[in-house]
Amino acid sequence: MRTRTLCLCALLVAGLSGCGSVEPWVKPYERQNFADPIMSSDRDPVSSAYINHVYEAREGARGALGSHGGGCGCN
Amino acid sequence: MQRARILPVLALVALVSGLPASAAAPASVAPDFNLPARDGSKVHLSELKGQVVMINFWASWCGPCRQEMPLLQQIQAKYEPLGFTLLGVNVEPDSAEAEKWLKNVPVTFPILFDRENSVSARFGVEAMPSSVLIDREGNVRHVHRGYKPGDEAVYADLIRGLVKE
Repeated sequence: MRTRTLCLCALLVAGLSGCGSVEPWVKPYERQNFADPIMSSDRDPVSSAYINHVYEAREGARGALGSHGGGCGCN
Repeated sequence: MQRARILPVLALVALVSGLPASAAAPASVAPDFNLPARDGSKVHLSELKGQVVMINFWASWCGPCRQEMPLLQQIQAKYEPLGFTLLGVNVEPDSAEAEKWLKNVPVTFPILFDRENSVSARFGVEAMPSSVLIDREGNVRHVHRGYKPGDEAVYADLIRGLVKE
């Protein structure tokens, strides 16, 4: 029983220590992968900026979405 | 008492299992490679033994790499007669962008294509650009990470030192 607990503890510690040295998964020479369109969270930034502006103008509880200016948000 | 004996063992297990794998470090034999060059030939690193070799890992999307390329060309022109070779290893999986960019930047030193990134991984490239300096015996002597204006003088100093050996 004791040995089992000890083994489990050792395994747990060994497993956890893997989290100690998390390296970047993308190596410096693989950085072109970041520029892939699939990495972008916003596929159409112009359209979403407009939609965000509409939300900010219409809803008092929303804001800081990255759109600028005031106005009615109708055009 | 029992607990006091177990804790150091656990600490050791944690330490050992957390150790990272090591890459090509200075003062070790440079891993040999065989890469296709821009002119269609193949370049073996082992065939360049007896020369001082500088391997520059670059990419067309890397700003500092583009900045230093004309300076590397000057270094190549200046030190080639002393038994020095520069190898520009392009790390992109698709070399079309590199070819496009090289059209406007004339370089005379061999540009090699590491499309699978196997050589970059073996040399443990940790920054872009990275320059590895190899002496006449084929040992890695210096690894220079990154580039900022003025680093070309550092390269020249290191090359002069290795050429004189």
